[in-house]
Amino acid sequence: MGIKTTLPTELKYHALVIESKAREYGLDFFDVVFELLDARDVNGIAAYGGFPVRYPSWRFGMEFEKLQRGYSWGMSKIYELVINNDPTYAYLVRSNSLLEQKLVMAHVYGHADFFKNNVWFAGTERRMLDRMAYGATRVRRMIDQHGQEVVEKRLDDMLSLEGLIDPFVLRSHEGVREPQRSLSEHRGLRLENFGREAAAALPSRPGPQLPEADVLGYLVQEAPLADWERELLEIVRAEAYYFLPQRLTKVANEGWACYWHSKILTGGLLEASEIVDFADVHSGATAAAPGQFNPYRLGLRLFRYAESLGHDLFMLRRIHNDVSFIDALVDERFALEYHGAEEKDSLAAREQGFDWKAWKENLLTSLSFGGQPRITLVDRDAEGEGELVLEHRHDGRDLQLGQSRECVKRLASLWGAPVHLHTRLDDEPCTLIARGEEVEVRTEGGDDPQATAKAS
Amino acid sequence: MSSPLYRIQGDHSRFREIVKGRIRRDLERFLSTGELIARCGEHAVSVPVPQIELPRFTFGSNEGGEGGEGEDGEEESKGGEGKEGQGSGAAGEQEGQHILEVDVDLGDLADMLGDALGLPNIEPRGTKQIESEASRYSGIRATGPDSLRHFRRSFKNAVKRTIASGAWDADDPRVVPIPDDFRYRSAKASRKPDSSAAVFHMMDVSGSMGREQKEAVRIQAFWIDTWLRRQYENLEVVYIVHDAAARVVDQHTFFHLRESGGTKISSAYELCLSEIAERFRPEDYNLYPFHYSDGDNWSARDTERCVALLQDELLPRVNQFCYSQVKSAHGSGQFKKDLDAAFEGVDEVVTHAVRSKDEIPDAIRSFLGSGR
Repeated sequence: MGIKTTLPTELKYHALVIESKAREYGLDFFDVVFELLDARDVNGIAAYGGFPVRYPSWRFGMEFEKLQRGYSWGMSKIYELVINNDPTYAYLVRSNSLLEQKLVMAHVYGHADFFKNNVWFAGTERRMLDRMAYGATRVRRMIDQHGQEVVEKRLDDMLSLEGLIDPFVLRSHEGVREPQRSLSEHRGLRLENFGREAAAALPSRPGPQLPEADVLGYLVQEAPLADWERELLEIVRAEAYYFLPQRLTKVANEGWACYWHSKILTGGLLEASEIVDFADVHSGATAAAPGQFNPYRLGLRLFRYAESLGHDLFMLRRIHNDVSFIDALVDERFALEYHGAEEKDSLAAREQGFDWKAWKENLLTSLSFGGQPRITLVDRDAEGEGELVLEHRHDGRDLQLGQSRECVKRLASLWGAPVHLHTRLDDEPCTLIARGEEVEVRTEGGDDPQATAKAS
Repeated sequence: MSSPLYRIQGDHSRFREIVKGRIRRDLERFLSTGELIARCGEHAVSVPVPQIELPRFTFGSNEGGEGGEGEDGEEESKGGEGKEGQGSGAAGEQEGQHILEVDVDLGDLADMLGDALGLPNIEPRGTKQIESEASRYSGIRATGPDSLRHFRRSFKNAVKRTIASGAWDADDPRVVPIPDDFRYRSAKASRKPDSSAAVFHMMDVSGSMGREQKEAVRIQAFWIDTWLRRQYENLEVVYIVHDAAARVVDQHTFFHLRESGGTKISSAYELCLSEIAERFRPEDYNLYPFHYSDGDNWSARDTERCVALLQDELLPRVNQFCYSQVKSAHGSGQFKKDLDAAFEGVDEVVTHAVRSKDEIPDAIRSFLGSGR
């Protein structure tokens, strides 16, 4: 399903050398396939999240427009793109220099090893390239049947809710899913059930337990959707679960790849004339830009720090996601060093008000649950309207209200009944209630009589 | 190049379609501000559109009231989320880009204008169709250069001749052409309606025309040009400014000049006439004089002269004459009344009073709505 470009002999040679070096160091990965593409094509693939084929959506077009513009204005360029798949696919940009290609290849082997061995990736679909292509075909067929506008609208609704999945469900326990019915079987089934309620067509199984963090999964099973909508939702959900581990391990994954591209290349694979360029590109990727969080930098420093403490790096990359990784390793010494101070300056830093614990806490908060609000499904039909009740676990950060309103509205349209979302706004409990096109924001200030007035 | 990624083209054009839909929605706003003019290149306008983003459950401040912006199911983005794909390289995780610039073809923009204002396509002037010659290789002849040799016809001839002469052998179907067999493509001239036009923007720059008025003129001129450029293949634009005397200026001067002095409108009309006589023969060009003024003329005598010039000289030569009267603090607006009185029932003279920028779309509609 790949694009199948041929690498020039020179690059092929370097790929082989780097690969054997990586294996020598103990990295363990699926086969890695490199594709050499023009910048424009890489932008196209990047717009699809790394896949050559995905279902049609204007969002990818917008992403492409952005990337193309960034590229043609010289503001940004993509060095490397690698996807978690077996075999692992990676894209090289034709216009890059040979040194850059070598660096990218070494970097890619780091990612490939991480994909294969990190426990958070354990349940991911390893045939995602095929799965995406299959999903794309299905969606195209839906569009042929139901019209572009209709499918697009539904797809947008579902994508808005993409984040409502359970980051901690181990996908492997879903491994025993029944195989996909073939198309003809499917038709037969529909004929058999002709005229019956759509809900009755679902195999009867014990209702899912509440509370449930996998809201999308709940909807797939319970929402009164048309067949095609249910299938569409399954596609969206599968992709969301596929991409989730990458969000949960951005720091560790990039850190691991940077650690290895540096180690592999400086371990004797660079020509003397390439050292300065290597240092330039490497430090460009791992530099600290003021006011910006650079996962490459943090991850690399964490692995180097762990190495200096004598930890087993391979074990670290197997068991950690970003949050646990940072939590386990960041201490005062690391925090100081990361900010460019020596340990002996710790007193001075403390006097200047540098609080490493606050820094760490902040970092952990921003990374927890993949940086998304934690919203779980807690109840159903509590007030007898068939409504769905969700709860946002407030951690001190309010939800962005405008977007949240729109999201509950979309959820309600999928669910076909009202949706309640409990959260807090400005330190007060608050409920968003979506009924059809209407969204009501009800603050339950308790002893504050003002709040009820505000709601009316 | 046969890119493996033809699919992204489909998504890209779908996105552009959606963007165009939004521009169409906002066209009224663009019509009454000069926002697009500065963004106009040779063939395309770069239109700023608020980034369309799917709403998501995100953290964010809710300052500025609880109103929520997500009315249309679309949110103006609050800083892009990191990309899903693994590692988009070091440079270029763009954060917080609120406005996306999208290039829109000038022709498409004109079509949107046409749709929004219900403008008809322009019909050829009168019965006399201006034609130009265009040649295409659509004929065949027996002589010509090798580069134009028509292989299939030549081969066919050779086969026919071989069979007719009895030399054809089905087991050994060899065909040897002789010079008589060869056929060559030949160019045939075809006539097509000509599509050249000239627009004259004549602006009163006397003391009473302030910045506000010039801005209104500028916006009108921009949209008129956009539309006419869609209708004609070649469009030439002539800028004329006048106070008591008139002269031809370039585009920049036209929009930035500030003169002060009296107003003698006839001077501009005379200059326009001499331009037509020298450069734009009515036989070759569709002519569109536009005049923008606040309506104060030097004297009633000069107004009479203007009317006479229009009546006898300009109108017989041009497609349509348009007068746009921009309201100013001091202008009396007398000139429009005079024109209306003199040309009552004459379709080729269109006048419109623009009291505020909001009325610019109406003015454009009345100028271009007749399809002349």
